[in-house]
Amino acid sequence: MIRFLDMAEQRAYFSTDYPVNIYALSEQSVTVEFGTLISEELLSLITGFNQFLLQNPFPGLITTVPAYASLAIFFNPLIVAASDLPGKFCYDKVAQYLKNIGQTKRAESHLATDKVVIPVCYGGDFGPDILTVAKTNHLSINEVIEIHAAGLYTVFMIGFVPGFAYMGGMDTHLTTPRKAVPDAKIPAGAVGIAGTQTGIYPMETPGGWQIIGRTPLKMFDVGRPQPSLLKGGDQVTFKPIAKDEFNMMLQNEYENQHH
Amino acid sequence: MNMKISIIKPGMLSTVQDLGRYRYLSQAVPVSGAMDQLAHRLANKAVGNDGGLATIEFSYAEASFKAETDVLVAYSGEGAFLVFNDELMPAEKPLFFRAGSIVKFIANPVGVWTYLAVAGGWNVPDVMESKSTYLTAGFGGLSGRALRKGDVLMNNQSVSQVSEQIFDQLIKKRIIYPNWRISRESLLPQDRQTVRVVLGNEINWFDANSIISFLTKNYSIDRKSNRMGYHLSGTPLVRKVNKELLSTAVAPGVIQVTGSGDLVVLMADCQTTGGYPRIAHIAAVDLPLCAQLKPGDVIRFSEISADEAEELYFEREHDLSLITTAISLKYIKI
Repeated sequence: MIRFLDMAEQRAYFSTDYPVNIYALSEQSVTVEFGTLISEELLSLITGFNQFLLQNPFPGLITTVPAYASLAIFFNPLIVAASDLPGKFCYDKVAQYLKNIGQTKRAESHLATDKVVIPVCYGGDFGPDILTVAKTNHLSINEVIEIHAAGLYTVFMIGFVPGFAYMGGMDTHLTTPRKAVPDAKIPAGAVGIAGTQTGIYPMETPGGWQIIGRTPLKMFDVGRPQPSLLKGGDQVTFKPIAKDEFNMMLQNEYENQHH
Repeated sequence: MNMKISIIKPGMLSTVQDLGRYRYLSQAVPVSGAMDQLAHRLANKAVGNDGGLATIEFSYAEASFKAETDVLVAYSGEGAFLVFNDELMPAEKPLFFRAGSIVKFIANPVGVWTYLAVAGGWNVPDVMESKSTYLTAGFGGLSGRALRKGDVLMNNQSVSQVSEQIFDQLIKKRIIYPNWRISRESLLPQDRQTVRVVLGNEINWFDANSIISFLTKNYSIDRKSNRMGYHLSGTPLVRKVNKELLSTAVAPGVIQVTGSGDLVVLMADCQTTGGYPRIAHIAAVDLPLCAQLKPGDVIRFSEISADEAEELYFEREHDLSLITTAISLKYIKI
């Protein structure tokens, strides 16, 4: 469905309130910068713009990469150049198309975001840094678990390694800086805190986030149509589970893989 | 046509790569693919393949393989030369080896990466629409890992008509290679130490002297370099704007400046997003040469406009399509 933007929406897309800057990232990509701060409003603008673009692609569009305040668009220059989009160079052709989306069209306001519940076994061996988070914020370990599991989180972007979701919306009573010296190995499924964000490590990597628990879910699985469990814009809640439940679910995750 | 090789010595780091994995960037799956995409494509073209089929990317030398069947292969790149029966095999030419042949790699002092193509392309499963290996997450290529001694690799048996004709010609004439070759040199710039760049979105975050340094001083490739990125040593850059950059998409070829002012050129396996300011990106036509730089090699950057970079890109693509046409015309009667 295509409709014209009302004035407020136009301002929201391309106005001095939301400074928008389009620039070439390479010969095969451009970036649209929607702002310079992290906010849920900006996230839904970017998610809406992205969904509209993917449903109404220009010739040669390959893929898009949403981030906190920007959306990058990758394309095949040979196809873009051969298209009848106005402009001499690919950059002009693509940039003009993106500006037109911002100025005249927008997808219907409801966004396709999913609600995902992530089971987490908090503390103990799975959450070696939960005490650090508790001490930093003058809380008990149980209070840390209660506050973390009571929150509703929004996935701002997927980055770092395949399937790593940066999530905002955490209660500021849990704010904890990342480690000065990153750990060499953080296991797959580790749930961490860095500043005001929370995130889950999809695979064993080095990392500096404060680890408070672990999920048995596979956050990234190449066997799934959408390998990353989470995507930008998703709403996430955490459900505390005990260790035996964790073990049972972990086993299920791996059995399901071979279906 | 069924072709098969076994790895006798895998070399330092050998993986199956194609032109990369683009459709999953939003899930933070890196592009990966051949570091030197030009050499990768030329090796493919020399055996009559589409440039995008999977090749084996070898780093430096110290590798060898055995042809388990008759094979039609070709190589390109700057990490090694192929040797058969103590004879140096020419690059960018189709090479026919009888079953049982043992082919060795010897060092090419110029660069790092060498690509071995086979008629039909190396046949490994597609993972997220690509055959490229991404070692960090262990997927793609041959079981998501680097090649090991004893690994057997097969081609995709449906080969192009051109590949069939080349194969038949070499068998009939009982020769290893034909008299034609692709001229890779004609595609490379004369001055290999100057790398053309397009200035980046955060260029004005740096002070004027730093921008001048970036465009005039020498930088050398640091030992910390790998498939994710090449670290450069040289005059560190100073910022005049100390804003935080919110993590945003990056791509191979982008030059980031770290907190200490050092330059990092992002390469094939780079993360999909980054939070360091980007002073420039390397023109796509010069990125293959950059990939061949070794620790200690010295380069300078020279600025071109985004429009020039795009024109160079189209010239290169045009030249590559002429090569494909020329090879087809040798073998296919119209």
